Amino acid sequence: MSAKTAKHIAIYGKGGIGKSTTTSNIAAALAEAGHRVIQIGCDPKSDSTTILRGGNDLPTVLDTLREHSKVKLEDISLVGFKNILCIEAGGPVPGVGCAGRGITAAVELLRELHLFEQYEADYVLYDVLGDVVCGGFAVPIRDGLAQRAYVVTSSDFMAIFAANNLFKAVAKYAPSGGARLGGVIANGLIAPYAKRLVDDFVDRTGTHVVGYVPRSLVVNQSELYGKTVIEAAPETDQAEIYRGLARHIVENEEVTIPRPLNGPELKAWAREWGDRIFSVEAGEIREQEAI
Amino acid sequence: MSTSYIERSRGSCALHGALATFGAIEGVVPVIHATSGCGVQYQQGVTQFGGAIPACAAWGNPLSSSNITEKHVVFGGGSRLREQLKNTIKLLQGDLYVVVTGCSTEMVGDDIPAMTKEGREQGWPVIYANTPGFRGSIHRGYELAVHALIEQLPGIPGPELPPEPGLVNLLGIIPQQDPFWQGHLLGLERIFEAAGLTANPLLGLGHGIDRWRRLPQAALTVVTSPWGRDGAQLLEEKYGTPWVELHGIPVGARATGALLDALAERLPVDAARLAAYRQTQESWFERNLVRIAPQYYAGGFQQEFALVGESGFVPGAAEFLVETLGLIPKLIVITDPLAEETRDAWAQPLQSLVDTFKAKLAFAEDAGEIDDLLRASHAELIIGSSLDRPVADELHASFLPVSFPVANRLVLNRGYAGYEGGLAFIEDLGSALLRGRSIKLI
Repeated sequence: MSAKTAKHIAIYGKGGIGKSTTTSNIAAALAEAGHRVIQIGCDPKSDSTTILRGGNDLPTVLDTLREHSKVKLEDISLVGFKNILCIEAGGPVPGVGCAGRGITAAVELLRELHLFEQYEADYVLYDVLGDVVCGGFAVPIRDGLAQRAYVVTSSDFMAIFAANNLFKAVAKYAPSGGARLGGVIANGLIAPYAKRLVDDFVDRTGTHVVGYVPRSLVVNQSELYGKTVIEAAPETDQAEIYRGLARHIVENEEVTIPRPLNGPELKAWAREWGDRIFSVEAGEIREQEAI
Repeated sequence: MSTSYIERSRGSCALHGALATFGAIEGVVPVIHATSGCGVQYQQGVTQFGGAIPACAAWGNPLSSSNITEKHVVFGGGSRLREQLKNTIKLLQGDLYVVVTGCSTEMVGDDIPAMTKEGREQGWPVIYANTPGFRGSIHRGYELAVHALIEQLPGIPGPELPPEPGLVNLLGIIPQQDPFWQGHLLGLERIFEAAGLTANPLLGLGHGIDRWRRLPQAALTVVTSPWGRDGAQLLEEKYGTPWVELHGIPVGARATGALLDALAERLPVDAARLAAYRQTQESWFERNLVRIAPQYYAGGFQQEFALVGESGFVPGAAEFLVETLGLIPKLIVITDPLAEETRDAWAQPLQSLVDTFKAKLAFAEDAGEIDDLLRASHAELIIGSSLDRPVADELHASFLPVSFPVANRLVLNRGYAGYEGGLAFIEDLGSALLRGRSIKLI
């Protein structure tokens, strides 16, 4: 076994919130800074690492496992931008089988293949599907696999709801050796109140924001080129924001156990924000200051 | 949610209840869609300790199982089941194939109804029962199997069956979980026959799916345990069949007489023929009681007893032991997991007996709790399952195993229902009481 111990980091968040883009850009920024990185997509859609590998084909772990009794690391991985090792866990077609168990099976296989030691990774990033709907999707933060979890959220209520669910999972598993929370990545904030809403949520839950990623056309453009911002537009402010996130991950190992809101608390909190936002939309300038 | 646990459970899970039930119908081939252990546990556990197995189950034929592995869990086991079903139909001849599911395939959500429909479209006689162990005990599995047959069998083409007048469906006896299931059914069949009726026992030797096709023809359903209610209610709903519930199988002359009265009340029977039959049987029964008098008195049969078993047997047996044989109850334990309101209903007929003798009536399935109850009872005779034997030895009590699991009795057609069943119970009881006796020359 290698003397090098990789830092395992899980990144969660509601579907469509920009997890894969954020994770891939963090991975690219880490690699650019000279770290050896593995990114593992834990989503049956298997598109987590697309922009790291220029759209090249990558068979998923589970598809390979289904077809072959013996799986080799080279069958299920592809070296992408700046030597980032890309892996996609994959999963069943929608409506069939158990994607949650798929994640567990894929992660178990990667452990059996001694992936982390063999590749001598500094950082292993897990990009995990949407909400923590069942035990299978909590695998990266259980069993001491990942030390830290980050959650990507926007100011949309459903994204906050998913973040709160992840906090519940972290709070449940952390005492028995599961991952703790590294912080919240606020992504794609547009509305004037968005930053304050996310800030208020992290305050209430005893967590903190590690970075604000504004919505940017550069991200869309880079994705259309099949690349990360770090690769396609390295000189932009947006690239610098992702580098900032990567630096934060490297330099700050501070973790917390979040205090998720329970159902009625979350509902009351959302309602309170609903009232405040409505006042702003109605043009009450005085109220906007309050937000 | 209760955090207590059950020590040494007396029953397996729903899947095994369904397997025991389908396996007891001739010509029915169960196809297990589960991991391999589910079928193995049935063969190694349930079929070992529940009396003789059904003629067509497990041992007579290989037990078909899809034996799913991780890839079927992750990607779905539909194609594995399709393959297994196809191969089973090629290898095992049956009139009806039933897919029964285990926990893993139900958790994954394999679409079993669609798979079996696909089979039927190809002309295969196949139905399904969703029987994951987590749905409940072996008793629940019996209910689910009965339910599946009532609901789905009419969709399988079959012969037109001429009506059988005076047909009475029997529900509530669970194969294997009642080690005397075959004998109990035979005993009840004899009683119905004597009353000029025809029992529809649905399970056991000589009974195939045609018996289930006749369900709608029946004039009455007789239920002998709470586990038969679900099926009886469904039959009432679908076909308007009335049903009557007995508190367990009738053991001996008194209870059998009461059953005959109940049948005569509800169905048109030949009263004179019934009275004649009853008189003959009761006289014969009483004369047999006289025959055991020397052993009864010399052997000290009038002992304080504890009775541990399921709701389908305990009430009838307790009444027989006390009212007919004059034994003294100290403890009565009903071990199947009954709903609260059912417990109350089933305690009621035992209440006067319990009050008169200051006996204890308990509902318990935990072996540790039952051990403690048995110790506290100081019973001289324990009639229960093989799990109760160590405490019987500890108390130097006589012991007769009658409830699941029964480890060291070979049971084929023996049963305790009816007149003959009562006498068989006396024989077994007497043999247990006389076990330690040896011949002393005078």
